[in-house]
Amino acid sequence: MFVARRMKKKIVTAAPSASLFEAQRQMREHTIRQIPVVSEDGTLVGIVSDRDIRAAVLPTDMVPGFTIGEAEKFMKNTPVERVMTRKVVTATLSDTLEDAIVLLHDFRVNALPVVDAAGKVAGIITRTDVLEAFIDALGVGEISSRLEVVVPDMPGTLAQLTAIISSFHVNITSVLSTRHVDIGKRSNFFRVATLNVGPIRKAIEEAGFEILDPSKFLLP
Amino acid sequence: MKRVAWIYHPDYLLHSPPFEHPESPERLVAITDHLGKAGLIDRMVVVTPEYPEDTDILSVHDRDYLNRLETACRRGDLTLDSEDTYLNRHSFNVALLSAGGAISGAKAVAEGTADRAFCAIRPPGHHAGPDVGMGFCLLNNAAVAARYLQARHGVGKVLIVDWDVHHGNGTQNIFLEDPSVFYFSIHEHPTFLYPGTGRRWEIGKGKGEGTTLNAPMAPGAGDAEYRTTFEQTLEPAVERFRPEVILVSAGFDAHRDDPLADLMVTEEGFRFMTRHVVALANKFCGGKVVSILEGGYEPSSLTSCIEIHVRELLEE
Ligand SMILES: [Zn+2]
Repeated sequence: MFVARRMKKKIVTAAPSASLFEAQRQMREHTIRQIPVVSEDGTLVGIVSDRDIRAAVLPTDMVPGFTIGEAEKFMKNTPVERVMTRKVVTATLSDTLEDAIVLLHDFRVNALPVVDAAGKVAGIITRTDVLEAFIDALGVGEISSRLEVVVPDMPGTLAQLTAIISSFHVNITSVLSTRHVDIGKRSNFFRVATLNVGPIRKAIEEAGFEILDPSKFLLP
Repeated sequence: MKRVAWIYHPDYLLHSPPFEHPESPERLVAITDHLGKAGLIDRMVVVTPEYPEDTDILSVHDRDYLNRLETACRRGDLTLDSEDTYLNRHSFNVALLSAGGAISGAKAVAEGTADRAFCAIRPPGHHAGPDVGMGFCLLNNAAVAARYLQARHGVGKVLIVDWDVHHGNGTQNIFLEDPSVFYFSIHEHPTFLYPGTGRRWEIGKGKGEGTTLNAPMAPGAGDAEYRTTFEQTLEPAVERFRPEVILVSAGFDAHRDDPLADLMVTEEGFRFMTRHVVALANKFCGGKVVSILEGGYEPSSLTSCIEIHVRELLEE
């Protein structure tokens, strides 16, 4: 999946000359925490976050006798280009969702402006968008039961398991396969659209696989 | 000793699975045998359930859904939508009679022919929504009984206590925005068990915000965790809500021997829960409790738990 599928396309941007006051107003109105700063032709030149603005106002705030009125005046007179981050971590339209997840994690940012080949902003993808993608992928909230099967780490086991599940005419709504703590094993998680998982569990065990007992999850 | 209505109909056995399935007529056969031998049915007020009025079913379910269900049964479909909810040609009528059983229990209590009621009915109901049957459920019996009490007996506020091990997603959806019906469910955590809903922050919507309460239990939880939840979570909520009647969606599949879930509740847990609900009913609503059977799939624990449940309702 590409970031274009999950990014927000209708985005709020600010001109470099826009005031901190205006940027903060926009953030509050749209309940967002950062705004890409773009030049007249739409080229990304920076990004300004609510933290950048707070950090810029805070020092003046600590000057003795500095009033709220003066803070507002300062914010109205200061353009975002004075406080914005210029080295922006971006995603490109051809990046995948996995790229975006790694970028958000490794560069410790909350949002990635998504730029096209010409460097113009096409959208923005945030940590929230990525979490939404995970919620969908995990099948959370879909009417289903969960199975966790521990299998030897070798080709063909997942196919065997899905064949068993399909023999019960039950839909699989989500599949996740991860490394197991024991070397040479994998954990496979399925969400299946049935209440009646007993017979499926039994068939999987009879085929020689290990079903993990959920009550054991709590043990250290 | 209290007068407890016993709601049962032999036609409940006609809804039977076309393939191996845990929700089978044998569940009710085991229950009636066991309670009969224990001499308990003789000490209850026997009430024969009747088919409900259309309006009582339509207060919960869409006409289109009822038509679809009836057609599917008549056509000979083996399942409804999902593979786990089976049908035979009797299922539509039995589902109506099951909802009718919940109504009969509610009626006996509302009119005073009994102090309490135990409805030994099937198919179960708490997964069924206004326009959908799922998870072995066709019509939402508890929801129909709640609406019946409000429409026909001037009852304002109804509390539904759902201790089936699965979350009653159908019941929750039906009353999600309705402040007059408080839905409390204690169940195995949705990450591990069907249907995957009933997280602790699902508390109702709009006007109904605050009259839905979910207590998900981690796999392996048992009597102690249930007791704490009833005392510390349910009780204060009931104090605030002040119900006029308490309905129980009484499933017994949280029992340690039940094959469908991973909880460790014992007979003593069900004794405690029944006693606690009876005490709340005595305090707030003249002792009115209508208990409606939901799940419970292991015959031995199912029958021993229901015996205890009925004895506690009798306050013998
Ligand atoms: Zn259940």
